[in-house]
Amino acid sequence: MESLLQQLARFSEVLAVSRTPHVSTWDPATVRRALQWARYLRHVHRRFGRHARIRTALERRLQSQWRQDSGSGPAPDPGLTNFQALGRCDLVLALRLLQNRALREAVWHALLQQVFPGPGVPGADEETLQGRLAHLARRRAAVHVLRLHGYQESPVVQEDALLKTQAELLLGRLRERAGAQAEGPGGLLSGLWERGPQDNFLKVLAAALLLPPPSPRPQEEETGPGTPNTPGEGHHELLRWLLGKADILAAFCRRLPAGVVAGVAGRHPELSRVYLGLLADWGRHLHYDLQRGVWVGAESQAVPWEELYGRFQSLCQAPPPLKDEVRTALESWKAQDGDFEVPGLSIWTDLLLALGTGT
Amino acid sequence: MAQDSVGLSSDYQFWMQKVSTWDQASTVETQQDTCLHLPRFQEFLRQMYEALKEMDSNTVIERFPTIGQLLAKTCRNPFILAYDESQKILIWCLCCLINKEPQNSGDSKLNSWTRGLLCHVLSAFRFDIREVGLFTQGLGYAPADYYPGLLKNMVLSLVSELRENHLNGFNTQRRMTPERVRALSRVCVPLITLPDFEPLVEALLTCHGCEPQEVLWPEFFDAVSEAFLLKKISLPTSAVVCLWLRHLPSLEKAMLHLFEKLISSERNFLRIERFVRDSSLPEAACHPAIFRIVDETFRYALLETDGAPEILATIQVFTRCFLEALEKENKQLKFALRTYFPYASPSLVTALLQHPKDIPQGLWHQSLQHISEMLREIVEDQTHGSYGGPSDCWFAFIHFGGWADVAAEQLLRSEADPPEAVLWLLAFSYSPRDGSQQRAQTMEEVKAVLGRLLKLLRSPGFSARDVQAAAGQSREEAPRPLECGPLIRRLLLNFLLWAPGAHAIAQEVITLMAPTREITHEITGFLDQTLYRWDHLCTAAPASRKLASELLTELRGQV
Repeated sequence: MESLLQQLARFSEVLAVSRTPHVSTWDPATVRRALQWARYLRHVHRRFGRHARIRTALERRLQSQWRQDSGSGPAPDPGLTNFQALGRCDLVLALRLLQNRALREAVWHALLQQVFPGPGVPGADEETLQGRLAHLARRRAAVHVLRLHGYQESPVVQEDALLKTQAELLLGRLRERAGAQAEGPGGLLSGLWERGPQDNFLKVLAAALLLPPPSPRPQEEETGPGTPNTPGEGHHELLRWLLGKADILAAFCRRLPAGVVAGVAGRHPELSRVYLGLLADWGRHLHYDLQRGVWVGAESQAVPWEELYGRFQSLCQAPPPLKDEVRTALESWKAQDGDFEVPGLSIWTDLLLALGTGT
Repeated sequence: MAQDSVGLSSDYQFWMQKVSTWDQASTVETQQDTCLHLPRFQEFLRQMYEALKEMDSNTVIERFPTIGQLLAKTCRNPFILAYDESQKILIWCLCCLINKEPQNSGDSKLNSWTRGLLCHVLSAFRFDIREVGLFTQGLGYAPADYYPGLLKNMVLSLVSELRENHLNGFNTQRRMTPERVRALSRVCVPLITLPDFEPLVEALLTCHGCEPQEVLWPEFFDAVSEAFLLKKISLPTSAVVCLWLRHLPSLEKAMLHLFEKLISSERNFLRIERFVRDSSLPEAACHPAIFRIVDETFRYALLETDGAPEILATIQVFTRCFLEALEKENKQLKFALRTYFPYASPSLVTALLQHPKDIPQGLWHQSLQHISEMLREIVEDQTHGSYGGPSDCWFAFIHFGGWADVAAEQLLRSEADPPEAVLWLLAFSYSPRDGSQQRAQTMEEVKAVLGRLLKLLRSPGFSARDVQAAAGQSREEAPRPLECGPLIRRLLLNFLLWAPGAHAIAQEVITLMAPTREITHEITGFLDQTLYRWDHLCTAAPASRKLASELLTELRGQV
């Protein structure tokens, strides 16, 4: 076991190097050895896939290898961080090498020959490297074809295929980091925010917060110390980070559609409190224009009346207890303002009037 | 070789033009045209590869100066890359362009360009979705990590949209408009054999909206049917039923496929059973519309081949598998037998449906009597009643072939006088179109032969010549091949299998009986069918079984 773990560690390094200019020193023999190594690890993956204890031990070790310096930066490279990755490591290695322009031409030719020997190679497509590379290319074309000609964005963010996939990947990474007991996800998440595009990131966050917590994997009977499979763990981390970042939180509440934020607020009470606070703030920045008979903001970035109304409407359509909390909050602000029943004096009165006594 | 390369050159011109027209296949017309040509284009790519791999890089450029253009345009067409093995063959072709020993900067440039194109096919940056790519990169994932999951989620969301469509048929707010469903079926054509797509193919087949006319693209049905017959995709029975109901040519192709398999292999009941079960036809035929079409196709085949025994055998096997499948169906709504056999009276069908193994052997003669009477009534009824005439009830009868076999066997195993009803039944099963006089004559002949055979049984010993005489040939000095019709042959064979003293001479008699290849085939068919039937009835005496088995092996060895 120990030697296997050492092999894993060393291969992770090789994998990391395969993306760097350092490969210019490689010769065909090095390439061949690297690929053989990857094939061996794939074999390990197949062999121990059903052995829960060995699998867990390997996974724990892989997670602990999470490279601390890879949290942020232009292109993070955590290396092999979970058991599943072992099954793909030859694919990843081959693709990295094929795309690495630093590889000398002659070496690249040798690589090509090794990876694509042509027809007549024994083994079903699911097994051979060239078969799986072709299969990956086929799937990419499939996604492209579907996206252009069949797929439609879903308004329900956690059901939209693209957002859901990204959310699942994000939560998966957070789980791994928790297992590695590395520092919090802050670096990773801040890095994603800075990379952009920000709108997409916010949507993915929302989808992640709305995804149902994952059911514990059936193979994992034992939950030892440090296994991060407590459902909702990823949610906590995300939320904690988000609540600590005022500007990102404000963008989250402002830029995402009313229904989405209401959904997230309904699932996570800590967020609903902050959201209400923001809404109150936005509301107080509006004043009543007597001439036109509407509520307007002083600055251009002020949240307009329509949007404020829309957001409150979504909240009032949410299931209890959120719905009731919102009503209570509105009533209390109205009371603080003087409890007017006449429109035009307190924005909270007007909102309540507009929302009606509906459910 | 020279001829091949000429063919390849002209093909090359054709495909070069096609690929240029298609470009990225972004319009409905180009998509349609691409999808129509996918299999042939893949074949062309294969041939190109076979030619290219024999040449070095410079020869390639000499022979096909525009090959770079052809391959580059192919790479831009996602429908080609999405189909079957085209992407793999394309990669192989590109590998052939690589110059192992570049002499000058031109060679190096070509290599560099080829390398770029290869990376495009493998990594397809242009195809990637920008936001997703950036996000996953930020997480440290490679496309190999997330594409399978992404595809799965996309398929899942489309499937749930289709099912929603199906359930809320009249909800005007559904997102899956008929146009979108049609477009989806069109773009799925290259992807039908991708395992990730099975749920989507199934959903497209089984979820209808409420439009009266067909929404799906016809090529979609063709592609699914083809993939299903070649076993490149597996579909649940419900999806296959939908396929065949919505697109009749698929059902026709499935039946043709079955017939082709049957023709190309030797007649062997076990093999027939395997092919029939494989075809999913019995399960699908639980739906009466499908059963009717299959049945009519069988009837037509019988007519065309003049009652070929292979078709008869297939009908019998099919019917048995069908009845098994029907019994397993747990549906609330079970169709009446009349729906499946509208041309026969329900009482006849009910009688025929009874499997001999469900009736005690001692009562078989009663069932035979009953069936015979019913058939006779229909056949001799000049007014043809409310059901079909003689040919219809004969067709119904041969579905359940077991009874004709039982009739022949029973005649030889009982010592008593042959009951007229059974004689009639046997005569009818062999010659349904005979007039009553002809049939009466046949019955007399059979009765006579039976009488002589039974006399032989009672005598202490008999020879092959004795059997020959019993069959109706006068004793002559030189043994002649036995000439008799198939019905008499059947009786003789049964006699050989059941008569205690016949084992020794069985081989000799058969040799006398079978001078031609056709008759040999008939006899092997009979023996195979008998063994098959005995296995299912779990009856047969071991001695008879052993003899039948030996004779069959012997005969098969001769052919």
